[in-house]
Amino acid sequence: MDENWGYVVAGYAVTVATLSAYGAWLWQRLRRARRGVGD
Amino acid sequence: MRLAHDALLVAGKDLRIELRSRVALQQILPFGAIVLVLFAFALDPDRGVLPRVAPGLFWTAVLLAALLSVNRAFALEEANAARDGLRLTGLDGAAVFLGKAAAVAVQLVVLEVVLGVGIVVLYDVSIRGVGLIVCAAVAATAGLAATGTVYGVLASGLRARETLVPLLVLPAVAPVMIGGTRAFEAALDGAPADGWPWVQLLTAFAVLAVVAGTLAFGPLLEEDA
Amino acid sequence: MSTRLKLLGAAAAASLLSLAVLALVVAPEDARQGDAQRLMYVHVPAAWLAYLAFFVTAVASALWLWKRTRSTTWDLLAGSSAEIGVVFTALALVLGSLWGRPTWGTWWEWDARVTTTAVLFFLYLGYLALRRTGATAEARGTRCAVAALIAFLDVPVVHFSVTWWETLHQDATVLNRELDVKMEGFWMPFTLVWSVVAFTLLYAFLVTLRLRLAELEEGREASDLERAIAERVRAGDPVPVGGS
Repeated sequence: MDENWGYVVAGYAVTVATLSAYGAWLWQRLRRARRGVGD
Repeated sequence: MRLAHDALLVAGKDLRIELRSRVALQQILPFGAIVLVLFAFALDPDRGVLPRVAPGLFWTAVLLAALLSVNRAFALEEANAARDGLRLTGLDGAAVFLGKAAAVAVQLVVLEVVLGVGIVVLYDVSIRGVGLIVCAAVAATAGLAATGTVYGVLASGLRARETLVPLLVLPAVAPVMIGGTRAFEAALDGAPADGWPWVQLLTAFAVLAVVAGTLAFGPLLEEDA
Repeated sequence: MSTRLKLLGAAAAASLLSLAVLALVVAPEDARQGDAQRLMYVHVPAAWLAYLAFFVTAVASALWLWKRTRSTTWDLLAGSSAEIGVVFTALALVLGSLWGRPTWGTWWEWDARVTTTAVLFFLYLGYLALRRTGATAEARGTRCAVAALIAFLDVPVVHFSVTWWETLHQDATVLNRELDVKMEGFWMPFTLVWSVVAFTLLYAFLVTLRLRLAELEEGREASDLERAIAERVRAGDPVPVGGS
């Protein structure tokens, strides 16, 4: 079943990437909103 | 009953406007017919594909035309501040909803009759199980008209209304697509017994949509847009 | 960021890290699907979170609609939770696809769960588009709340429709559409439960942050408007009173 590890890695990578990207985006927007800078 | 009377009033108004402007007749109906023709280009008419997928194509064409119909129903209200006029009449939101939905439904039924002839002629379909077809169409149309009208008022007054309503309506009426197509398939296959459960589903959906619209229309109409 | 929120974030991070270890190393491979089954530990919680998020949106929307409990916070919570829900729905669909390819042989199946999840995605994508049509809770609150509730109630109807459709199309070939994995031993069910807990903590953390952001932006929206009017007044412009 080794050939399926590609899918597993892809899946976990997509999960980490998506959640990190969303988290990072949130963080950025929060910092800007707190500083009161316009978009 | 007050509600029925007021609803008929609103439906009458919308249908009278249609009779005078003939937008549904001259624009939406041809649109539905053109969609049927386009499907034939998209699929292969020679290999007997069209009769098999005719139910699905029929309901897709009806669905797309319903979007135009709903759009028109609420474009009417945006001209000349008609929406404010509607609120000033003091009519119950439920009555306005039922009236507008009924008007949309009537236009859709006319469209469906024409498109029904269309699929018989263009896709070489033979109609069997007429009772099933009629009942399925009535239930499906009620659900479509009600759902479209709810989202129509929900988005009315918004600049993005015309692009929002399709995005909102299409996923919501997935059960109508599924039920309507399956019921028609059963009718055209000559196995109507398989189709009647789908009529039940379509009816349940229609009931839910009408209830939702009746409850939500009033508060939505009150919104300042 | 408050201490409680920091703790929540830390808990989420810790549980997710340990989940990775459990899911990729500790849990045994499935007898039938092999290692591909490990995607269950991210796909299932993602789907669960999507439904939880949309449930929160529905409840918050109802609280907005009921005049006695109406408050900007509910509108902002509804929007925040829906946004996160859409992210998780997309994730669930992608992960389901990646899981399905080696297991079913196809990237997609039109079974009840997958189809309903796809419709769910579009329903709430529409909701998010609707939210952008009003700058303040007052302007968009009722429309969005109604849309959210209709979407939420529609989902079981869609699911039922597709399930019914499925049962009429029983294939002769036994296609393991359901992706049902037989839970064996201790570590498989444990890891699955752990994954749901970890993702739930993550959701709680994200929705709190997102709500905070929404509140800040809403406040700025309102104060921007006030500031703009105040400037006009100072400059001597007549304050517009409805209609130009």
